[in-house]
Amino acid sequence: MIARNVTVINRLGLHARAATRLVNCASDFKSEILVSKGPRVVNGKSIMGVLTLAAATGTELTIEADGADEQKAVDALILLINNRFGEDE
Amino acid sequence: MSITLEGYGVAPGVAIGRVHVAESNELEIGEYRIGPEAVENEIQRYRKAVKAARNQLEELADRIGPEVAAPAADIIQSHVLMLSDSKIGKSTEEHIRNELCNAEWALQSQLEQILLEFRSMDDDYIRTRGEDVTQVVRLIQSKLGEEATDMPFENIPDRLADTLVVASELTPGELAILYERGVAGIVTEHGGPNSHTAILASSLGIPAVLGVRGARSLLKEDSPLILDGGRGLVVADPDQETLDHYRDVRLEAERVHRSLDSLRQQPAVSLDGLEISLQANAELAPELEQSVSAGAEGIGLYRTEFLYLQGEPPDEEAQLEQYRSALEFLGGKPLTIRTLDLGADKSTDALDFSQLRRAANPALGLRAVRLCLRDTALFKTQLRAILRASAHGPVRCLIPMITNLQEIRLVRNLLEEAKSELTERGQPYNTDMPVGGMIEVPAAALAIDELGSELDFISVGTNDLLQYALAADRGDEQVAHLYDLQHPGIVRLLRYILREADRLGLPATICGEAAGDPRYTRLLLALGLRQFSMHPARLLEIKQVIRQTRVDAARDAMKRWLANPSASSAGGLTELLDRSQAEGPQ
Repeated sequence: MIARNVTVINRLGLHARAATRLVNCASDFKSEILVSKGPRVVNGKSIMGVLTLAAATGTELTIEADGADEQKAVDALILLINNRFGEDE
Repeated sequence: MSITLEGYGVAPGVAIGRVHVAESNELEIGEYRIGPEAVENEIQRYRKAVKAARNQLEELADRIGPEVAAPAADIIQSHVLMLSDSKIGKSTEEHIRNELCNAEWALQSQLEQILLEFRSMDDDYIRTRGEDVTQVVRLIQSKLGEEATDMPFENIPDRLADTLVVASELTPGELAILYERGVAGIVTEHGGPNSHTAILASSLGIPAVLGVRGARSLLKEDSPLILDGGRGLVVADPDQETLDHYRDVRLEAERVHRSLDSLRQQPAVSLDGLEISLQANAELAPELEQSVSAGAEGIGLYRTEFLYLQGEPPDEEAQLEQYRSALEFLGGKPLTIRTLDLGADKSTDALDFSQLRRAANPALGLRAVRLCLRDTALFKTQLRAILRASAHGPVRCLIPMITNLQEIRLVRNLLEEAKSELTERGQPYNTDMPVGGMIEVPAAALAIDELGSELDFISVGTNDLLQYALAADRGDEQVAHLYDLQHPGIVRLLRYILREADRLGLPATICGEAAGDPRYTRLLLALGLRQFSMHPARLLEIKQVIRQTRVDAARDAMKRWLANPSASSAGGLTELLDRSQAEGPQ
């Protein structure tokens, strides 16, 4: 199991488009993926779970992956979040 | 007597026509028990409905295709994800199993639970997303009852020209059907500016007013109606004066639209005869299509980050394939490929990125070419792919966020290594592929004479350049007001870059959002810009401004302004330049 913290830096936070990209990215991996904000933990492959995190910009999240490709999964998700989900320049 | 109702104007445009009230097709959800032996059957029935729902959404995504901007595709994608979400799917199946009830009812119970959760959020935006869940559940429920009716809106006529549809609410799917049938405008009782119906209506260009309470009872079938999507108004049974006014507004809008459309094949030449090159920024296939159809002379900024955000970093062949298909699409027009412009390091596992972020300011940290020069294996793979693509068409290579000469030399060395590797393999490439740098760092901008001597062209990334030069993040609402292209310091900086580039014979493009903002077109022309690269959707509008500009007059006005910026009257430099057009050169 691997866990890493990351701060949401895109302007709109985990809104629908960003959440869609996060879930799509998480679903590319075999590992089980959990995303948590404080005590709230949701399934990273569930769009509704991720949306209900209501993670605005500046929120610190923990990405946790467990499985064969856990390292790649966490790397890819952190990269996606740090790149503001591909929004803007 | 005329009545005026207010709502959220979410998609601009004026529509004039007659009301059609859409029957509310809210389904009666009944509950019935099933025997334990029927459970598997019921679950199969449920899965079939989900599959049918997914097919419908995917067909819809295909059908609305590339002319609809990315938001629509994203909405449909998020609905597809909801369909297969375990919170709906798995839980509904468990509900059927445990409670021995029909799929419709199990789904309904699940929906109510999910909505409870969404409604408890103290975030407006997230609460609104509950509407999306409802729409997705309604879609599955309609598929469960499919045997009976196969299309929503059976009672709606095939041709909806001059018809304004008034509904309780509309799902993206329903909206797409109305769009296909040529609906003039839509009015709904529910939904607000954040709703996906709003985003979709706006990207489909359907004038829309949402959240008009009681619209279905107040607006009578077949009565005349004016919809003003910009102001969020609907006027029923309008008087002659109002009608005349809105007819004029609509005519004017149509005229502007037609004149833009007729510009596709026209050259971008100013009134005083300067030829301007208009290129497009693109990433995915729909934008490439849009660029070609808008008459772009090429792609001035081809982003490659998307290749790296899909799990594994792409190998050389996969990249080459992508670049080649873009070239093919462009049919001989130039393609400027920007190398990876990411802000986080994926491959240095030894470095915990979250700590790096805490330690440093990410905007000033390890990103773009800095990152690529750290991970040279990753970078060289991309350089080889770009070089190989250059054998198939006019490719230019653009390096993001150049800071100093040393970086350019390191990149050039890696390119030479990549070239000899390709030569060894016997793979063709263009030995003279142009290499350019993105000017985003203010100090690099002021050293353009030095950096430019080892570059073949430059591209000015105004978004980041302004952010760094003004020390203001435009995404931060509290300081966004400082982010201003008309700041005298920024105007002087851009003027310096463009003049030096001209003196050095270095082709210069601006590819930031300023290039696609018609308010700044005259300013950029006055500063000496001759190559613009922008989102393809902006291209015709910018071309129109260029064709209505005397660059010499704008330049004279700008020079006078630069001598004493604070003397300028209200409205600032851009208005001054607009006024200069009437006066002519002095």
